[in-house]
Parts: sequence; structure tokens; C-alpha cells
Amino acid sequence: MPPLADALSAVRAAGRRPAVPYLLVDRARASRLEATVRALAAAGAPALELGFPFSDPIADGPTLAAASGRALAHGTRWSDLLFALRRASRHLPAAVMTYANPVWAHGLEAAARELRAAGASGLIVPDLSLEESGPWRAACRHAGLELVLLAAPSASPERVARIATGSSGFLYLVSRYGTTGAGAPVAPARELASLVAAAHRARPRLPVLIGFGVRNAATAAAATDTGADGIVVGSALQEQIDRRLGPERLRTWFAAIVRGANPAG
Amino acid sequence: MPRRYGPYGGAYVPETLVPALRELERAWRDARADAEFRREHARLSRTLGGRPTPLYFARRLTRRAGGAEIWLKREDLVHGGAHKFNNALGQALLTVRMGKPRLIAETGAGQHGVATAMLGATLGLETEVYMGEVDMERQRPNVERMRLLGARVNPVTEGSRTLKDAINAALRDWITNVRTTHYLLGSAVGPHPFPTIVAELQSVIGREILRDARRLWGRPPELAVACVGGGSNAIGTFRPLLSSPTELLGVEAGGPRRSRHGAASLSFGRPGILHGAYSYVLEDRDGQVADTESISAGLDYAGVGPEHAFLRDSGRVRYRAVHDDDALAAFHWLARDEGILPALEPAHAVFAAVREARRRPKGHRVVVTLSGRGDKDLEVVRAAARRRS
Repeated sequence: MPPLADALSAVRAAGRRPAVPYLLVDRARASRLEATVRALAAAGAPALELGFPFSDPIADGPTLAAASGRALAHGTRWSDLLFALRRASRHLPAAVMTYANPVWAHGLEAAARELRAAGASGLIVPDLSLEESGPWRAACRHAGLELVLLAAPSASPERVARIATGSSGFLYLVSRYGTTGAGAPVAPARELASLVAAAHRARPRLPVLIGFGVRNAATAAAATDTGADGIVVGSALQEQIDRRLGPERLRTWFAAIVRGANPAG
Repeated sequence: MPRRYGPYGGAYVPETLVPALRELERAWRDARADAEFRREHARLSRTLGGRPTPLYFARRLTRRAGGAEIWLKREDLVHGGAHKFNNALGQALLTVRMGKPRLIAETGAGQHGVATAMLGATLGLETEVYMGEVDMERQRPNVERMRLLGARVNPVTEGSRTLKDAINAALRDWITNVRTTHYLLGSAVGPHPFPTIVAELQSVIGREILRDARRLWGRPPELAVACVGGGSNAIGTFRPLLSSPTELLGVEAGGPRRSRHGAASLSFGRPGILHGAYSYVLEDRDGQVADTESISAGLDYAGVGPEHAFLRDSGRVRYRAVHDDDALAAFHWLARDEGILPALEPAHAVFAAVREARRRPKGHRVVVTLSGRGDKDLEVVRAAARRRS
């Protein structure tokens, strides 16, 4: 089994719910990346999403959009992503999350090969809809990368089932109408639960992870109450990094979220 | 409706928007087949919008060029002062039909924002417009107009603070409020079905040109010229002429002379994915979208509509870039020769039209789409004159 699905399934098999952190690659933070990844792994993260900044991040809220802009201003390039991947994947299986155009600009096949060679296990593209995903799935399959598709509350259960069928690694279920980070309310739990169930019916072995707006133990617990297998934490982690939280405090902070997703008993 | 033009187009959007884009496609298909909708659209187009617009013979500009006749398609006479009304009317009526109470729009020069604000008022829809801070500064009269028309204008402070960033902000709003809101996209860009809907609504320009040409000359013009930012007035001009022998010329913004690429994505860009569509984009090696430069806010955009990308590759339409100072020169020619103040966007097309007319025989006709009037640009033109003196 490929590393991403494998790592998440192992957590699942142990009766626990994975909490996956999202880290944006920023050249100015390159020297601290490995310590950060180690801290997150120590806190219980079974896998990692590495974000590559894009100039026009339409799915991102203020925190990640600003971080993306700063990373580009610091001169972050594709080569910095490959460098970060090599470092991070020593500690955790990593999926790359970035918009369609930076991947396309390097050529689908070539980009998938480069990412795989640098240690990536998966690819997540927030502006890639199921309808456009055909060539991307082929390129990723060819390179041995898992292409993770996203579903959202606006979709019918039937559509979520179709997306789950096309996804590999896991299914990324967006928690609400809105961009990443705090702000818009999370969709009603009942609504999300029916989408999680639809995905599980279509692909029983594919983990469903909920992201967008999971920012602490309470929201982590609420997200997994829907029957989801785990969570993704992005903007809230970025806020901690923006506050220059050291590895030790970061570990404590993330461990609380892991506990939120895995209440005792 | 075509999802792609050749390889270009598609819908590269966050999943949240996919159902809304489908609903929009269905609604548009139903609406244009509905005689009652078409009647209402035609009525408002005439009685509110002032259509049809005339084809005007620019006698003194023709003399200046000293070659083929230059005719102006007077979209500057449409309600609100630009062709943007054509698209805004159709989509605003569609919004009412879909039962959505709220409109959002992006705007560069402010003309699309004004058109959306007008129709929001006419049809009783809550309206919010996103506009880059740089554009709010250089197109201030239009910001005032939007506010007077009851729209809320949200300044966009991210990125280059121009049209591209206004589209980002509008897309984010749409992702958040898609259940109650229609995104009235102002150009022939964005994810399917927007490029097709906008092109169909703007095609009234080319249809009227063709009809008047047949009546006046018994044949279509030898050349049609239009400016291209996202490309809505150009695609509206070109589409009905695609099957005629008329030569077609799209004019992009070349920016200042020292600028490497201005805002000319078809001339200097490469295929990429921006704002939901696969088309030509000005970008760096990593696919990061480049900052653009143009004296005209409406053309100052790093992408372009996917149908133009297709027409460029097929060779059916030629695309050329015109620099800021040439556009300014054309602005003054039209003002002095014809008593018309053009917007700086079509001033680019006027410059190219004069250059083309000069090398063509006297019997030929060049039609240039004057997509908007220039009142909004007086400060920019004055500032440019000060810099030169």
C-alpha cells in the first residue's frame, strides 16, 4: 500500500483518528522545517501536508493567503518545495498541497515524477475538480503519487461518492462553505455526517479527513463526531508558526488537537 | 454548451463551486430557450440600455489615417457608458430567475462594477463589488458612481491590488455565500460556463455590426478591431464575424515601453490555469502569476478568456500589443478629430485601427469597437500629460 494511505490506515486500524498538519513551505523558514516536523510527529501526527505557495490562492482565507504571499516574497521556489520534501519525508509521509497552476507549469508528468522522487507520497490540489482530474490522476498514478480529491458540503451524497471513488490516499472533506481558516460556520454536523457516510459506502477503506476550520481540541472533536476518520489542521497551525511558537510548545499545542480528535475511551 | 475551446477553458475550481456552476449552466440554457425571458431581456436592452448602438463613420479620423474608412461601433453610448451593460443585464435577469437575492462582481476600470450596481438597483438585488485599491485610486469617478447606485464597494488590498486580485476576492466571497449569491463575472474569463455565457451576451455587438454593414455596404467589413483584457467586448465583436471573410484583430495592453510584457497574455504569456480556466497566462517558471502593467485598469490583467486562446492558436484572430503612450495618442486623436472621449481600453484598439487603416486601400472598411467612454479616465490622462511636459 502507498505510504500515505498506509500511514492513515495504520492509525485507523489502531482505533484512532489521524490529525494531519498542513505546513506551508517558506524559504525563510527552511532551516526550522525539520524541527517543526519532528515536533508534530512527536505530538502524534501520522502524516503531513506540505503547502507550496501560489500567487492567487482563491480557496484560502486571510491567514494562509497572507502566509502564501510572504513565502513568495521571500523567494520561495519549486526547488525549495523539493528540498523541504526531502527533509520532511524523513520523518513523516508527506502530501504536497498546491494549486493547479504551479504543478501544470512544470508539466503534469514531470512534476509528479519530481515530487515523488523528492519523497512526496501524495498530491492535493484545491482547485482541481473531479471533472478536470482525469489527466492528473493518470500522471500521479504513473509516478506513484496518490492524488487526494476534495469534497464539500455543497455536493450531494451521490457526488461525494463519485469523488471518493476517484480519490486515493484519503478523501479531503471540506467542512463548510468558505475558505480555509476561521470565519464561516462549519456546516451542520448532520449534513457532514451524511457525506462521510456516503464516502464510506462508496470506498469503505478510504479514510475521510475533515479540514477547513479545525483549529483546536473542540473543533477537532466536533469534526470527528461526524464519523470522519480524522482531521487536517492548516490555518490554526500557521497562526502558531506566525507567532513563532518553538518546537516544544508546538508539540504541546498539536498534542491537544490530537487528543480532541481522540477522546479517551 | 462547450466546456472547452480546443484545449482551453474547463472549470478548475474548488469543489464548493461545482454545483453552483452546474446550476448556472442549466439556468442559462433554460433561460435562453424561454421566449418570455428573451422578450424581457430585449425590452430592457432597448428601453434601459439604449440598444441598438450606432455604427459611426469617423470621417476626420479616417482622413488622419489616410487609407481605409474607420467606423466606430458605439458601445460607449450604452447605459453606464460601456459594453459591460450587455453582460450584466443578462446575468442579473438570470440571478432573479435563479431566485438568488445577492449579486457580487469584480471590477477593474469600474465599468463592470457600475453596470452591476445599476442592474442591482433596477432589479432590487443587494450588490457588492470588489475592486483593487490601485484601481479605486485611478478610477475614482466609478467608485463614486457605484456607491450612488447603492452598491457596496469592497477595496481589495492583496497582491497587485488590481483586477486579478479583485477576482480572487469575489471568488472567495462566492465560495462562502454561494447559496444566496450569484457571481456576476464581468469578462469572458473564469470557469465554464462563464466564458460562454458572457460571449453569448456580448455577441449582440458583432451581430449589430454585421447587420449594419450589410445594410450600409452590402457586405461585412474588411477588418474588425477590439481591445482585449479578459476579452468580453472583443469576443462579442468577433464571434458573429468568425464565419465571414472579415479579418479580426485583438489588441492587448503592452504597458509602458520599458515593460517586458505589459498585460499582453496572448502575446507574451503561455498556457496555464488562472481563475478557473485553462488559457494564456503571464507567469513565471513556477506558474506564479506575474504582475501586469497598463495605463488602463480594464486591460490590466494577467489572463485572458479561453476562447481567445483558441482563436489565437487557430490563427483566425491576430493579437497585437499596443503601448500606453500610443493608446494615449489615440485618446487625443479621437477627442480632437471626432469629439469623442474614449475610455483608455478601446483607445488601444483605436490606435491599432488607425495603423491598419493607413496601410489599406480607401475602399476598405475598418470597424473598431469603442467599448466605453472616457470620463472615468480624465485624471489618468491629465497625469500622463503632466509627466510628459
